[in-house]
Amino acid sequence: MAIEIAKVKPAVTPDSNPGDPAFLKIRDLIYRISGIYHAEEKLYLLISRCARRMDALRVASPSEYLEHLTTRGNRDAELRLLLNEITIGETYMFRHPAQLEALRNLILPQILQVKGLISLKRLRFWCAGCSTGEEPHTLAMFLLEEKDKLLAGWTFEILATDLNDNSLEAARAGIYGEYALRSTSDAMRRKYFKDVGDKKLQANDLLKTQIRFDRINLRDDSKMLFQKGMDVIFCCNVLIYFDLASKRRVVQHFYSNLLPGGYFFMGSAESLFQVDDSFRLVHFPGTTAYWKPTGAPAGGGKK
Amino acid sequence: MNAKLQSQLQAQIKKLDSISSAPAILMPLLDMLRLPSDKIRLEKVVELVSYDGAIAAQCLRLANSPLFGRCQTETVRSAVMALGLERVRSMLFGLCVNRVIPQDKWVIEPDAFWRHSLGCALVTQRMAKKIEYPEPEKAYLAGLLHDLGFLVNSFLYTEDFRECLRRAAEQHAPLHVIEEQVLGFSHCETGQMLCEHWGLSKELVDAARCHHDVSLLPTAGPVACLVHLSDLLCRVRYLGYGYDEIMGVDLGGDAAWQTLIRTYPALENMDLVRFTLDIDGAMDQIVATVDSVFGAKRIAAPATT
Repeated sequence: MAIEIAKVKPAVTPDSNPGDPAFLKIRDLIYRISGIYHAEEKLYLLISRCARRMDALRVASPSEYLEHLTTRGNRDAELRLLLNEITIGETYMFRHPAQLEALRNLILPQILQVKGLISLKRLRFWCAGCSTGEEPHTLAMFLLEEKDKLLAGWTFEILATDLNDNSLEAARAGIYGEYALRSTSDAMRRKYFKDVGDKKLQANDLLKTQIRFDRINLRDDSKMLFQKGMDVIFCCNVLIYFDLASKRRVVQHFYSNLLPGGYFFMGSAESLFQVDDSFRLVHFPGTTAYWKPTGAPAGGGKK
Repeated sequence: MNAKLQSQLQAQIKKLDSISSAPAILMPLLDMLRLPSDKIRLEKVVELVSYDGAIAAQCLRLANSPLFGRCQTETVRSAVMALGLERVRSMLFGLCVNRVIPQDKWVIEPDAFWRHSLGCALVTQRMAKKIEYPEPEKAYLAGLLHDLGFLVNSFLYTEDFRECLRRAAEQHAPLHVIEEQVLGFSHCETGQMLCEHWGLSKELVDAARCHHDVSLLPTAGPVACLVHLSDLLCRVRYLGYGYDEIMGVDLGGDAAWQTLIRTYPALENMDLVRFTLDIDGAMDQIVATVDSVFGAKRIAAPATT
């Protein structure tokens, strides 16, 4: 949820011919490096992002830009700049209703059933790479709304972490403009925010106190080892910047941080294919998540 | 299902052809479906397509849709040549089946039914190609027709089936489970019977019978397994029966997946997240194609040569 693949109309420049095979090569390169995949029909998104970088570099043809990404000396830096463009901070609250529906309808009932048996009625969530806090605030609102329903008799805690101090500071302040709140209903705004002027709303104390913010570097093994006992971990569009070896290590940490039966959410275009095979991929309506097996079948419900 | 109910159903299904509004070309088309693909003749296919103006128009619209490569063609003959005989044969059959049930007897929204069926056909075919199954067109047809039983149930048990759909939608539950509760059988059995009655190949009969549970038939082949997985995948990507189901599916842990992987190791190399995104990408086209082909809009009959 933290960062979402930007959705913009294709930039029509004379040289960015969508049929150019160089774009397909760039698509495959991005997939190989970051795990982000653009289906054929969504290629225009990638093309428009490449067009921005091509403008900046004054590069005329896609094949020349491909060289910048593959053979030139600055290729690593350029790749990072392109990934930044692809995942540019388009983020807002309630960005992924399908994830919340999956939590409400299947994931939480399943976890509650298993944990309820051992009488420890507490749930732990972790938003790893929470950026400016839209994701943990959404989760907190969602869980507060379920407090007297699905979660009656249960407590929960949300850990939200990021590496970037500026992002964390903004997340802690919890001040959001219209863009971040575009999918937040009036009822939710009234209940969980206060007006701070300048067309901005700030998370109220009820909402803020649900979340514990902390600075964690996902590459820091010693710190990662301590985040145990998680039920659900979100880490969306963060691992795309990691090389395969570090990605594997982080995902293995997440796996051991989760309790058996716990779930791990990534960005909607991210995949753990050939990164990790301990998790099971589970399809829910409109979304996918990774499940740490307990021995019982995932998902639940009849097919 | 007990033996008495089974024979009753079979008797009713046998009468279906005469009491329903099946197009005149259905029977010759069924004969053609039984032929191996190298025995189909171009002239015969063009003749069948051209026989019924409305069907010919729909066939052209399919051929011109982005899903099938936008042939930009105006004559039946060139559309058939561009699409290939096997694909046209499958399309034609789908269009015929659409007409078997009179409009007032449709219980599932026709648009939802065809989006799911066409979605399944394409996903089954794409998956068949990924695993290097030698007959992807057969997989396509099996995906297209796996839910024929819904049409039988709509036609023969209209009110009871309407109740099934109402309850399933209310409970967000799988329709076949509710059918079992209300009717005592599901579209899987009636679909199997109709496929058998029409003399369709064993793969198509098996796919209709066990697409919700491949363990029902120990001899179920790869096509039935592919259709089972595609059906699940379509239902979690908003190509279900027109209502929201609550479901979580571990496709890689599914018995059908495990069966397939033993014969088709290429399945190991399939990134399911990526495959799912590809389906999502094609979804707008599926919806647009169904709307233009099966929707209410009618266009004039095209030229036949």
